[in-house]
Amino acid sequence: MDSLSQPPSKRPLSSSATDFREVSLASPPAADDEGERSKMFFHIVLERNMQLHPRHFGPHLRDKLVSKLIKDVEGTCSGRHGFVVAITGVEDVGKGLIREGTGYVTFPVKYQCVVFRPFKGEILEAVVTMVNKMGFFAEAGPVQIFVSNHLIPDDMEFQSGDVPNYTTSDGSVKIQKESEVRLKIIGTRVDATEIFCIGTIKDDFLGVISDPGAAV
Amino acid sequence: MSGEEEENAAELKIGEEFLKAKCLMNCEVAIILDHKFEQIQQHASSESDPSSQVSQVFEKSMQYVKRFSRYKNPDAVRQVRETLSRYGLAEFELCTLGNLCPDTSGEAAALVPSLKSAGRFVGDAGNDRIDKMLNDLSLIKKFE
Repeated sequence: MDSLSQPPSKRPLSSSATDFREVSLASPPAADDEGERSKMFFHIVLERNMQLHPRHFGPHLRDKLVSKLIKDVEGTCSGRHGFVVAITGVEDVGKGLIREGTGYVTFPVKYQCVVFRPFKGEILEAVVTMVNKMGFFAEAGPVQIFVSNHLIPDDMEFQSGDVPNYTTSDGSVKIQKESEVRLKIIGTRVDATEIFCIGTIKDDFLGVISDPGAAV
Repeated sequence: MSGEEEENAAELKIGEEFLKAKCLMNCEVAIILDHKFEQIQQHASSESDPSSQVSQVFEKSMQYVKRFSRYKNPDAVRQVRETLSRYGLAEFELCTLGNLCPDTSGEAAALVPSLKSAGRFVGDAGNDRIDKMLNDLSLIKKFE
């Protein structure tokens, strides 16, 4: 109980950090496994060069720039940063540079956004979308994760039929469409516009957390 | 294929951008996206601008974080972060614990192995501290 009544404690700021964003990983954990140090959602500052047609120059230049940025960037996926889910703010619009020959002006824009980036070794929860004899597919937000039947515990057998599923021999645990599972990402394939993950549920504390038949 | 693998491995060392980045728990993302969604809705109704529709990525992420948010109330979310940060956790550890809400210290250590490796929660005393931390979390959930 005392934990609730205590005054909010200050987060451990490193002395040099003046900006809250720099606080976050200012003291990187001594994790020896690189994969363990990351998490799906990040609040991150990115930079992008925006080209703007001269017809937009005027009192609303900044607004134009921001709406164009949102249109261009939101919902895209880059291998480096993952999916850009939402832009939460524009930090800084730099000095524009006129491109010779076209009249377009390039502005360097710094913006904050929420990105979604899966990492190897991370544990997360996902919803099963498809089950077949090769394994099952699950979805965590915009990311697809495949769990092969080699990475499903050995005591779970594939049952074909109307609702294909994986079931333990005693029938107590069942994975089917819409089941919520906790899985560990063991591999990611990142290309320019897509991220695809391979997961496993063959480990301690992984597996089904709720199945739709029992819950509803 | 191997080229992609190499690039991937290099990225796990976390680019400069991710060093500055702040980790978010699902429930925090839910609040941010909710807020943003409201703004977009208002904007759309005032200007009837068809272009201000949300992207598929946005929609899917929103569904996901809503489904897997353990804490709904913004005050509770803030408390979770405050409570966990008292234990000297790294950002990613904090978020994993906040998202998954393990029940026992054993489960917590299995899900976040770095808890043990960094030498902050060693032996029985360490387990007790983890249990205390998890207990704090469940209290927040209970009184939400």
